[in-house]
Amino acid sequence: MEELMEILEEIKPDVDFAVCDTLIDDGILDSFDILNIVSELNDAFDIEITPVDIVPENFNSAKALWEMVKRLQED
Amino acid sequence: MSFISMEFLLFLFIAVVVYYLLPQKGQWIWLLICSYLFYLSSGIKVTLFLVVTTISTFGVGLLLEQEDFRLKQILKQKNGNLTAEEKKMYKDKSKCRKKWLLAGALVFNFGILAVLKYWNFAIDNWNILFHTEYNHVNFLLPLGISFYTFQSMGYLIDVYRKKYVPEHNLFRFALFVSYFPQLLQGPIGRFDRLSHQFFEKHTFELMRIERGLQLMLWGFFKKMVLADRAAVLVNQVFQNYEEYSGIAIIAAVLGYSLQLYADFSGGMDVVMGASECFHIKLDQNFKQPYFAVSISDFWHRWHITLGTWMKDYVFYPLSLSKGMNRFGKFTKKYFGKHVGRVLPVCISNLVIFFLVGVWHGAAWKFIAYGLYNGIIIAFSNLAAPLYQKAIAFFHIPVKSKPWVVFQIVRTFLLVNIGWYFDMGISFSAALVMMRQTLTGFSLSALTDGSLFVLGLSVSDYAVLLLGSAVIFFVSLLKEHKISVRESISKKPLVIRWALYGILMFSIPLLGQVAVVQGGFIYAQF
Repeated sequence: MEELMEILEEIKPDVDFAVCDTLIDDGILDSFDILNIVSELNDAFDIEITPVDIVPENFNSAKALWEMVKRLQED
Repeated sequence: MSFISMEFLLFLFIAVVVYYLLPQKGQWIWLLICSYLFYLSSGIKVTLFLVVTTISTFGVGLLLEQEDFRLKQILKQKNGNLTAEEKKMYKDKSKCRKKWLLAGALVFNFGILAVLKYWNFAIDNWNILFHTEYNHVNFLLPLGISFYTFQSMGYLIDVYRKKYVPEHNLFRFALFVSYFPQLLQGPIGRFDRLSHQFFEKHTFELMRIERGLQLMLWGFFKKMVLADRAAVLVNQVFQNYEEYSGIAIIAAVLGYSLQLYADFSGGMDVVMGASECFHIKLDQNFKQPYFAVSISDFWHRWHITLGTWMKDYVFYPLSLSKGMNRFGKFTKKYFGKHVGRVLPVCISNLVIFFLVGVWHGAAWKFIAYGLYNGIIIAFSNLAAPLYQKAIAFFHIPVKSKPWVVFQIVRTFLLVNIGWYFDMGISFSAALVMMRQTLTGFSLSALTDGSLFVLGLSVSDYAVLLLGSAVIFFVSLLKEHKISVRESISKKPLVIRWALYGILMFSIPLLGQVAVVQGGFIYAQF
């Protein structure tokens, strides 16, 4: 989780990822951020996030992102 | 069978009556029979292409599922006895087999589309490049081939990605590919949103039929009263572009804005209205496109199902590919964070718009049209920080109405410049027309009567202006989340039918039946 938080803060330093759970719903992350996050997570955790996974439920909070990473690592 | 024909209305009437007389199990079978009868009316040979795409997609969908099942079985059998590396090896092998299966189906089906649509374009370019004289080949072009190919391949990619399990019944799948209201000009449907609707129980409700017919009527009005009338002016100027300049060309380009929107969105209204009569809801293809505040926003509102198809099946795979990832890191290192973040997306967008251009037709002017849109979006993304600085420097209230109106007008202007390529008879003709718009510009054209020798009379212009005002007003209400259709549905029966009557009689009275009686523009794709 720490590594994930570091990646997120590097991409979007002005967002409090520890508390925000409306990253997509409130338009805090734009499409460029999402693609950046996907690409960084794929590299860092050796997973493959596919377009099917790119849905608001998986990107609305750091916790949801972490759940997705864990699920894809187990797959 | 054209949607604008008595045959189609009779066909739809019989199809709807029988549909609601049948029990649930028979309804989807009847829809399949109707869909094939509808397609067969355009010829037996072209129907074979539809059958080939259906069977090949269905078969490969099952093979992909089988491959997933095989992997699961292997992992289950060797449960606990595999190291992480061995498990990964099995997964990679399985993924590789799935990739080959998918690639084979994509190459086969898009190959058919490419040969039938683009062979002669390739021959023309080959002849120019290598000074050869190969002749054109007269291929049959199955109606709606782009639409059903894209829809089928979208399904297959989703199955590959395990978004849903494939359909196990060939005939059920055949209905998904061939459902007749959407077969010729879309919208490009998605299996998970469309297919299950075919097999639910649908009971007869008069209000639903009324609403379906209401939408169809609105579509016919847009197409026959506005699009076909504007087409007279548009064809006259674009096909004889050397003879015109200045305001005549501007009138034709604005006319094309109206024609294309009324034709395509009118066609969609007919399609969705016809489908509503069967209680099948299709995806929206338009969302008030001329209210867009940027070109990117325009493409989120115009031909939406093509845009989302491109996003899901081309943009994401390309943007998330390893090569693009490396390129992003490279640009970030040498050109800064913003460029590293935006440039790979811009390149993916350019590829998308190149494909959108090619999708519109086999000609360089369409490729120019696509790239024109892609370049504007890329430029606006790359220049975003400068734009933000300028906004802050000039203290522009970005949410104020005047600024939003300015953005809408600016986008409309850019969209209209794009129409020069889309409608011009060639790439060079489009450039000549652009030059003549500026060099021959004179306000005297507004008063010397020259606009009235372009095929339209004063009353024709009045109909176009009035019709545009009606469309604008309806769109404005929709933009403010007010549905005119809902409001009409709540009115007393007499008022509802009086409105339908006015609309219905306006079509034969004002419809451009005699001069231009063309099919829908997008039914040629």
